[in-house]
Amino acid sequence: MRLFASRSQLHFKERRSMSNEGIVENLKKLRQYLLTGVSHAIPFVACGGIMIAFAIAFAPMTSSGPDFSHSPKLKLILDIGSAAFALLLPILAGYISYAIANRPGLVAGFVGGYLASEVKAGFLGALVAGLIAGYSVNLIKKLPVPKYIKPIMPILIIPILSSLVIGVLMLKVLGIPIANLMTFLAEWLKQMGTGNAVLLAMILGAMIAFDMGGPINKAAFFFGAAMIKEGNYAVMGACAAAICTPPLGLGLATLINKPLWSEEEHEAGVASLAMGLIGITEGAIPFAASDPFRVIPCIMCGSMVASVIAMLGGAGDHAPHGGPIVIPVVDHRLAYVVAIIAGTLVTTLLINTLKTLANRKKPSVDIEA
Amino acid sequence: MNIVAVTACPTGIAHTYMAAAQLEKIGKELGHKIKVETQGAMGIENELTVTDIKNADVAIFAVDIEVEERQRFNGIKIVEVPVQLALKDPKSIFAKLAD
Repeated sequence: MRLFASRSQLHFKERRSMSNEGIVENLKKLRQYLLTGVSHAIPFVACGGIMIAFAIAFAPMTSSGPDFSHSPKLKLILDIGSAAFALLLPILAGYISYAIANRPGLVAGFVGGYLASEVKAGFLGALVAGLIAGYSVNLIKKLPVPKYIKPIMPILIIPILSSLVIGVLMLKVLGIPIANLMTFLAEWLKQMGTGNAVLLAMILGAMIAFDMGGPINKAAFFFGAAMIKEGNYAVMGACAAAICTPPLGLGLATLINKPLWSEEEHEAGVASLAMGLIGITEGAIPFAASDPFRVIPCIMCGSMVASVIAMLGGAGDHAPHGGPIVIPVVDHRLAYVVAIIAGTLVTTLLINTLKTLANRKKPSVDIEA
Repeated sequence: MNIVAVTACPTGIAHTYMAAAQLEKIGKELGHKIKVETQGAMGIENELTVTDIKNADVAIFAVDIEVEERQRFNGIKIVEVPVQLALKDPKSIFAKLAD
């Protein structure tokens, strides 16, 4: 076989050698598609989230939410931020589809993502839309067509057919059940007792810290953001407190016990503190990358503490963003601040204790461990 | 060996560049000629040219997301690994190249 397989075919064969490995391979591919979408969507979240948070923060807060009637400049910023945020779902679905089907996948993905937000199917709807769009484009690509139609396939036939497919699915078949699921979740959260609320906060906190801005973090984050639209601010509050404690806690850890950390880590520590303040969990990544088995459990504990305190203290967050930067738009600010400080301290103490123990066991500091 | 590589992580601000640095460092230590293109939040940087790819024996993709402009690598052997592996155990990636 190998003799007459070209180099690229070799690669292809390696990928689907055995059926069992094939399933694992396909799951890996699926993950890669979803992450490609998330990867393109992140700057939109950051831009929209921070602008919206800023505008809401400086507008006078009334019982029915922030009042923009006397501050046209803030309203302008809010509108620009909201525009970036509105593009989030189309971008997400569009680039998931792009990852699967390359350029011909863009149209159906964007249309599907836009419709997902139109029918209120949210993040989940956009993920599904992106996947279906990409796979249907790949199917349409395989249609046997006469030679003279080939050139217009990517610019006419594929976009039209695939948009029709994803459009009908989102508007008539899948959109409504997904939207209902989101509403159901919102209702369930409203009626949830304290015990369940703590459990939910623990899960969200753990998810936020686990991959520091990766898909699991974003799943929890988008859930919180979706709940803001449903009028429930507590979920986002729990996420918002958890979002900033990994970078804050690790940054603080490098400051208070310098010998435990390398020169690069000291530098990363300062950057990490800054990122923590503006609610970017990714600041923790350099630490977790060099020592995942100690760092990740520590930041998960810290974030869980933060989100549970925020949830119990009723620290609702009105903006789809986290960290100290959103304090002005938070209900029960004291609880929110306490949550962040507690989570940060837990993270700092745990990681420095673990690092000290590890160093004691092995006299030579093993950076790669 | 003459190696070209692409690194890309979902956020594109940390892992992408750390992985690129590791691959360059270990690659040179092992005596390979290596050029690493990063596909981070800034888009494609240190772009691999047609000549780079034509002259390469093998391509390493240390990626968690789809490689952009993948068609450039048609006809060359590709070893694809998660971006994490380039940080944790870059040597194992180079060991795979020999197979």
